[in-house]
Amino acid sequence: MDDLYIAATPTSPEVDFRFSQNVLSLKGESYPENAAAFYSEVITQVRSWLASCQGQHIVVNVALAYFNSSSTKVLFNLFDAFNQAAMMGNQVTLNWYHDEEDDTILEFGQELHDDFGALDFHDHALSGA
Amino acid sequence: MIYQQYRDFCEAARQRHVIFYYVGYFSQHIVGAMADALKLRLEVSGLAGPTRRKLFSSFVEMAQNIIHYSDDSLTPPDLDNHEVRHGSVCIGIENDQYYLLCANPIKRGLEATLRQTVEPLRTMTLEEIKQAYKEALRSESPVDSKGAGVGFLTMARDASEPLEFEFVPMPGEPDRSMFYIKAII
Repeated sequence: MDDLYIAATPTSPEVDFRFSQNVLSLKGESYPENAAAFYSEVITQVRSWLASCQGQHIVVNVALAYFNSSSTKVLFNLFDAFNQAAMMGNQVTLNWYHDEEDDTILEFGQELHDDFGALDFHDHALSGA
Repeated sequence: MIYQQYRDFCEAARQRHVIFYYVGYFSQHIVGAMADALKLRLEVSGLAGPTRRKLFSSFVEMAQNIIHYSDDSLTPPDLDNHEVRHGSVCIGIENDQYYLLCANPIKRGLEATLRQTVEPLRTMTLEEIKQAYKEALRSESPVDSKGAGVGFLTMARDASEPLEFEFVPMPGEPDRSMFYIKAII
C-alpha cells in the first residue's frame, strides 16, 4: 500500500503516514472547515491498511498544537481504529505530544488512554512548544 | 465616513477595549487569516498560554459556526464544504476579562433548538460540561450537524462563566432573528 502524505495548510495538519515503515505521524493544527471531509480518506486508508496488519509494531506520532471540536470527534474515530488493530494482535504505540501548559490536549490524551486500553500510550509534555 | 467620524469610531472601540472586530463574509480562508491575526495579537498581549488557547479555541468554534449555520449564505445551502456565510465576531476586554461575542442571522424556527442546546450548559459545572463533552465525543453526530455537535460544549468548557445568548428580531424579517452568543474567558 502506498504511503499517504498530505502537506500541512494553516488550518489542517501534515499527514505523514508511512505504511511501508509502520510509522504514522500527524503534526500541526487541525481546524479544517469540514473535518469529516478532510479525514474521511485518511481514515479509509488507515482502516484498509490496518486490516492487512498482523503481529506488527506500529508507531503513531501525534503532535497537534490545536484541534477544533469537529476534528476532535473524527480523531476519536481514528484512534478507535488503532485500538481495534491493537486488540487484533498488533502492538500500537501512540506517542502523544502536547505543550506542557495545554490541559485540553493533555486531557484528551488521557481520555484516549482510558478508552483505548489496548494502545501503548506515551504522553510527551513539551516545554514552550 | 469623514475622518472625524472614523476617529470617533476608533475611539469608541478603544474605550470599550475592543481588540478585534470583523463583520462580513466568513469562509475557511478568511477564518484562517483572522486566526493568524488573533494569534499575533494574543502573543504580544502577555496573556498566559492557557487563556490564549481558550480564546483561540472559542474564536474558531464561533467563526466556524457562522460558516456552517448563518442563515445569510452566499453559497448554496446544501453545500457542506467551501461555504461562505455572513456574520460578525468581536473580542474585547470587560472587567479585566476577555470576552468573545458573535452574531449571525438564523431562521426563527431554529430558536427553540438552539435554546435547548445552549441553555442547559449555562447551569452545568465545569465537571458536568467535561462529562457531557466526553459523551458527545462518543456519540454519533446529529444528522443535521456538519461538525460534531460539541462546538457549544467546547465554548462552555473554555469559558469561565456561563455562556450568554439571545435572539433579537430583525426589522422587516419576520422569519429570521439575529442569534448572539457570548463567551467570557
